[in-house]
Amino acid sequence: MKVLVSGAGGFLGQSVVNSLVERGHQVRAMVRPAARAPDWPEQVEVFRADLRVHKDLAPAFDGVDAVIHLAAAVTGNEDAQFASTVVATERFLEAMAKSTVKRLVHVSSLVVYDWSRAKSCMDEETPIECAPYTMGGYTIAKIWQERIVERFAQRNSWDITIARPGFIWGDGHEEIAAMGRKFGRLYLMFGPFTRLPLSHVTNCADCLVSALESPTASGQTFNIVDSDDVRVWQYVREYARRTRQPGLLVPLPYHVGLGLAQLAAFTSRKLFGEKGKLPSLLTPRRFESQFKPLRFSNSKIRTKLGWRPRFSFDECLAASYKHQVT
Amino acid sequence: MKKLSGVLIGCGAIAREHLTALAELDNVEVSGVCDISSARAEAMAERFQVPKFYTNHRDLLDELKPDLVHITTPPASHLPIAMDCLERGLNVFCEKPMTVQYADFCLLKDKAIAKGTMLMENQQNRFHSSVRRILQLIETGELGDVLDVQICLSLNITGPNSAYTDMNAPHFGMTLPGGVIGDFLPHIAYLAYMFTGKALAVNAVWTKHTKCTPLPADEFRGLIKGERTTAFVSFSGNAQPDGFLIRVIGTRMRVEANLYEPPKVVSKRLRKGEPALMTVVDGIAEARQVLTGSIGGFVRKLAGQSSYDGMKDMLAATYRSIELKQPQPISLQELDEIAQLADQLSATAKP
Repeated sequence: MKVLVSGAGGFLGQSVVNSLVERGHQVRAMVRPAARAPDWPEQVEVFRADLRVHKDLAPAFDGVDAVIHLAAAVTGNEDAQFASTVVATERFLEAMAKSTVKRLVHVSSLVVYDWSRAKSCMDEETPIECAPYTMGGYTIAKIWQERIVERFAQRNSWDITIARPGFIWGDGHEEIAAMGRKFGRLYLMFGPFTRLPLSHVTNCADCLVSALESPTASGQTFNIVDSDDVRVWQYVREYARRTRQPGLLVPLPYHVGLGLAQLAAFTSRKLFGEKGKLPSLLTPRRFESQFKPLRFSNSKIRTKLGWRPRFSFDECLAASYKHQVT
Repeated sequence: MKKLSGVLIGCGAIAREHLTALAELDNVEVSGVCDISSARAEAMAERFQVPKFYTNHRDLLDELKPDLVHITTPPASHLPIAMDCLERGLNVFCEKPMTVQYADFCLLKDKAIAKGTMLMENQQNRFHSSVRRILQLIETGELGDVLDVQICLSLNITGPNSAYTDMNAPHFGMTLPGGVIGDFLPHIAYLAYMFTGKALAVNAVWTKHTKCTPLPADEFRGLIKGERTTAFVSFSGNAQPDGFLIRVIGTRMRVEANLYEPPKVVSKRLRKGEPALMTVVDGIAEARQVLTGSIGGFVRKLAGQSSYDGMKDMLAATYRSIELKQPQPISLQELDEIAQLADQLSATAKP
């Protein structure tokens, strides 16, 4: 299969390209014009474009059988993220609609779910966030990106799969939001026994390629998380130990953190009404979306695709921190 | 009473500030928004409960016939969009810079005069609480005669991940005379103009401190001789922390404010008495102003007030003049002289 990968120069994109090549696919990797192309094998065709501004994206789809759409912004303010994630996707899919390509794997995120309404286990049945504008720029952009993908798919009768990975981590990207917050030398963990929805970058890439290849993935939405039951304290401890980060790890029960956020929100409402603004850590719904203690199921992807993570947590740790002195 | 209707063309970051301010005006309702990105227009409409969104601004103008059109697109598109509005006899409130070239401003001005419509540029800092406080000190005579004005804008446009130096999607400011700094010159120009009056002579120096960026220059220093006084103006793309400082020097008082930190205004006045004692009195007075201003600023942030101090008041004044059929808050003559000043400043960037 010839596969076009958008966002190929990104953290996950590089692994997806490697995984596709490993499994014998031809790859056209879309990389931003000023970015350095990763060290891919020669057969990887690099297509230079920035989805926000590139005038003619149509040639990117020439001769392509399927698309894995990864392009999205993970940094920047709300408007920059919207432009890089949503408007870029809109332009990308407009070009795709003019091509003959019908197969699309879209990479979304667990942030699109309403974490406040999630019961004990988050799975594909968890309701989608219905008040996106109360959340951060990344959440707004990922929700809108999914909306756009679904609309285009419906309008053009595309065969799509939506993948929603958890926290993607790996070499060079070991820090994740759910770890807590650093205040000087103090590392505050909110809910040290909370399970983390981890998806190691190699496992995640492998899963996306499996979804692309499998006919049973067609029209489906999957959450992508690894199978190991990893808790916050365990992850943070390994991180601190392996990166030799000095500082004190301070566990704080989740409900204490949430209580503080609720108290701050209550005070803000009383003083300033609905217009009051608080940092995300003191905004209850945003706090929940980062730290709520839930179980994260990958049973759908295991059942439908027969997929299993290639590497265990311990193997991923070894691979991710291979450059660190342990 | 029937509300005035406003529409926005362009749904980027600045549009959100307009809509936030408009939501606080009781006599205005936003009837539509427009953007070439359907998703961006729809998202903005959904967020601010605007009933209609469009991807073609002419469709919006023809269908909604609003009382005021806010143009919040990148500067290169202002001229054709504003012309479309004026041709239809619609009032225009345009983001700065209204046009890329001064000659284009003249085209719009002539059209607005011919059609009898309003043509305004967003100069929200004229309505900034700190600027109004300074003006009040001048009007009451407390500051004395204004001898000099200093306007110094520092913004980290050269740092990592800066949108201004993005090599993949060049910032729209790169199309302006003077590059990205040209995008900030209108703010500097109208603030200086408020004190200097019409510019009689302009001198400026442009340099590049950070070499590895596509910016033609990232530092700017200018000197303006105006009808009433002089102004030193500057922009730094490297100085940190970010700040938008305005200092007015009078014969009786010095007053300064950081427009990024309202409502903090610090003044130092001429006092009679033992100099050593007066230094202490000055210090205490200054400390009190800093403390009250800093706490006020913190509370403003918690209260969710817009960081664009002055935007709401400027929009309120604009809509009020439409409602009462009064002259626009900033006359076309003034806008013209400010556009000329900005043009003179940016012209110094040419090799």
